[in-house]
Amino acid sequence: MEKGKVISGEYGRIIVRQKSSKDIELGELLIAENDSSKILTQVFDLQYGSQLSDKNLQLVSGLKLEEENDLEMMDPHLRNYTLAFLKPMIDLSPDKTKICKKLPKFFSTVREIKEEDLKFLRSSSNNFFVGNLRSGSKTMDVPISLPGEKVLSHHILIPGTTGRGKSVLMSNLLWDSLDKDYCGILVLDPHDEYHEKLKKKESENLVYYTSKDEPGARSLKINLKSIKPYHFEGVVNFSDPQMQALGIYYKQFGEKWIESILLEKPLQGNVSFREDTIAVVRRRLLHLLGLEFANNQISCKSIFSFQAGESTVSDICSDLRQGNTVITDTSSFSGTVELLIGSLIAHSIFNQYKQMKNNDSKPVISIVLEEAPRVLGKEVLEKGSNVFASIAREGRKFKVGLIAITQLPSLIPREVLANMNTKIILGVEMKPERQAIIESAAQDLSDDDRNIASLDKGEAIISSNFAKFAVPVSIPFFDEFIKKDIKEQDTSKKDFSGMDLS
Amino acid sequence: MKFAHIADCHIGGWRDPKLTDASVKAFEKAVDKSISENVNFMIIAGDLFNTALPPVDRLKSAVQKLRHLKDNNIPVYIIPGSHDFSASGKTMIDVLAKAGLVINVAKAEQDENNLKLKFTIDKKTGTKLTGMVGKKGSLEKEYYEALSREELEKEPGYKIFLFHSALTEFKPSSMEKMDSHPLSLLPKKFNYYAGGHPHFVFSREEENFGLIAYPGPLFPNNFKEIEDLERGGFYIAEVEQTDEGYRTSITHHPIQIFNIHKIKIDGDKKTPTEIEAEIKQSIENIEFNNTVVTIRLEGILESGKPSDIDFKEIFDILYNKSAYFVMKNTAGLKTKEFEEINISTASSEDTENKLIKEHLQEIKVSDWGPETEEAKTKQLMHALSFEKQEGETNKSYETRIKQELDRIIEF
Repeated sequence: MEKGKVISGEYGRIIVRQKSSKDIELGELLIAENDSSKILTQVFDLQYGSQLSDKNLQLVSGLKLEEENDLEMMDPHLRNYTLAFLKPMIDLSPDKTKICKKLPKFFSTVREIKEEDLKFLRSSSNNFFVGNLRSGSKTMDVPISLPGEKVLSHHILIPGTTGRGKSVLMSNLLWDSLDKDYCGILVLDPHDEYHEKLKKKESENLVYYTSKDEPGARSLKINLKSIKPYHFEGVVNFSDPQMQALGIYYKQFGEKWIESILLEKPLQGNVSFREDTIAVVRRRLLHLLGLEFANNQISCKSIFSFQAGESTVSDICSDLRQGNTVITDTSSFSGTVELLIGSLIAHSIFNQYKQMKNNDSKPVISIVLEEAPRVLGKEVLEKGSNVFASIAREGRKFKVGLIAITQLPSLIPREVLANMNTKIILGVEMKPERQAIIESAAQDLSDDDRNIASLDKGEAIISSNFAKFAVPVSIPFFDEFIKKDIKEQDTSKKDFSGMDLS
Repeated sequence: MKFAHIADCHIGGWRDPKLTDASVKAFEKAVDKSISENVNFMIIAGDLFNTALPPVDRLKSAVQKLRHLKDNNIPVYIIPGSHDFSASGKTMIDVLAKAGLVINVAKAEQDENNLKLKFTIDKKTGTKLTGMVGKKGSLEKEYYEALSREELEKEPGYKIFLFHSALTEFKPSSMEKMDSHPLSLLPKKFNYYAGGHPHFVFSREEENFGLIAYPGPLFPNNFKEIEDLERGGFYIAEVEQTDEGYRTSITHHPIQIFNIHKIKIDGDKKTPTEIEAEIKQSIENIEFNNTVVTIRLEGILESGKPSDIDFKEIFDILYNKSAYFVMKNTAGLKTKEFEEINISTASSEDTENKLIKEHLQEIKVSDWGPETEEAKTKQLMHALSFEKQEGETNKSYETRIKQELDRIIEF
């Protein structure tokens, strides 16, 4: 269906006159074609155009407003019109789809996009479904999937203001990847929102840790022997002498180092610290780990324990290595405890993958970080690196990636943002935040500032090293999205053989 | 009130007759100790036997001891465990229950697809007991998921729950690969949770639950357990009623059948002759009366192969020094040429589990997911390991195995 004609412009700014009976929207995908070429373009700006001078237009409108006559302009559809500004994206030549490096011919027809134009978007195996293609505000029946293994190991950034659909998007991504064995995903869920949704899939690959009363869920217990001083890096702000004290205790007492600090066991050799250094470390450890000290005995009142949870971290890593999704409900913990748990697991799985000689056949591991600047923010990283920053820098070599969710991408250093090779951009109102995304995007989004600002709830733009262009998508509502996968209730009678049912 | 809590006797477990005797002896000792301690009843939290239908000679000794308990008016409350469970219900536990020697407390009522556990009440003490079977591959998980919990949790009085499963939160790091269930699957508000299955000694008072206890096996069940545990044991629990409710205190009673002498040699960069000399030197001037000797060799040999070590001579020396039994493990000793081969030094069960995990989902069977496939594979292996019983015809043996397989595969 023809919507306009190419009339002028330059590369990156093709001007199209819109047909009077048609509407063209900002962000809409259009095909500019003639006999010899077919180019996929996107609208990035709209303007009025007229054959009349401004003075004449002002006169005509004055007459209409003040004289209340039936004056009609001669050939109004011919003389006044809308101009759309398009950027060329993909050259859809019959032999090969490639990045467009040419202009469409003068008076090329500009038409609505059709599903058959988008065959090149249908990707192969290990699909990581993000949403359906969106042209302007119209959702098309063209699923957009990215190569899952690559996308997850090269990190994903999901920036967006509150209420723009970050949770729905993340729920959809987790739902879709739950039964795919190419990835294991760890979610630290501070709002405990994902498990309730994902359990509807009744998947054996979903593992849930919570402190809530729910039969079948694992209660999160972490043995204090699992914690090493480096797990606190970037999580707790210990001073240098305090960190050194932790290190010396670990060196001398091994896995009983926390217990030894709390019981104030004397250090061997010529090592000493100021009394107040140890006192502060002791107090902070007691507080952070939820321990109580009375009558020279330590009691555990939190998830950390001297007795239980010896295999928790290795169980979680083992589940991830098997391609499972592990959700840890951290809603009842402080942010610091949540990050400490994340640090423990991230260190463990990252080290395991680093030491593997060949992890080609292993699933890619992805760690979902809500409010990512807490560990990837400039301020945090200025005080010292941490395991999440290491994963952001070199995780892709070892098939370990991050999914960083944030409202404030500008707080994350540019080099970390540049390492996030896929960005699923939701509506962002604040200019500095949009700027941070645009400057680090895989495609040139310099003309898309307004487009990003105008993204409505559930609308997104994917900018990825693994996509041929910045793809506008519409994210389906979770309940709609999962309908196809909901299993029918099993009504067959269960077998309880072995129990005495007499 | 006092009761004994034992688990994982695995009577008939060892292939070697000398060690098979040991598991029976351990059971006898536990019974004698319980009688002398005047317990009111005994709990067996699964795997009294190593198979659903144990060999008759082992059974005879065990039944004698159960009879002894009955004569002393000590009831035995039991659940079938992953080894002595049978999907078709043909287990020796069932026979013993019918004979009145044990009381199977894994009793329930099926209400649609819910499982309502029934309490068995100990007449003398009023203690309420119930429990859940243990199954190979932890398939009892489905039973727990179908459990009606509210009434169980509301039931007043002193309550004991028998279970035969590892709990994810409490299994030690050495058992991290073992199938386990989350604690949250157990019904809450019992006073005592009598556990079995993971072979380790553990007890912990858990908020909203009660005292969770694993006594460990009565006798170590494989080479590694002999090395790690050295001996088995069981709990005797004493219950006091106070103004604040019941208070349960437990004491672990070790059962020493033999002394254990462990020889562990790092064979790295050594020749078979050097290792031989080292072993001989380590046993000089030692007598091994009533001792089980374990020899574990690890490392990469400088030259030669493990079979060049003259174990016959070493064994002869040890038996001449009155050792009761000598066993060796050279799985961790490698030759230079084969150092890249990854051999597990864990138990055969661990090796099996590892192999099953490695090959999961290679062949698609029905709609089994990886977890179901893993559990079913283990169950099938267990079912196929049943031996023909004395006096059993080929036909009835075949029918028994087929029935078992049908129930597992659910075709």
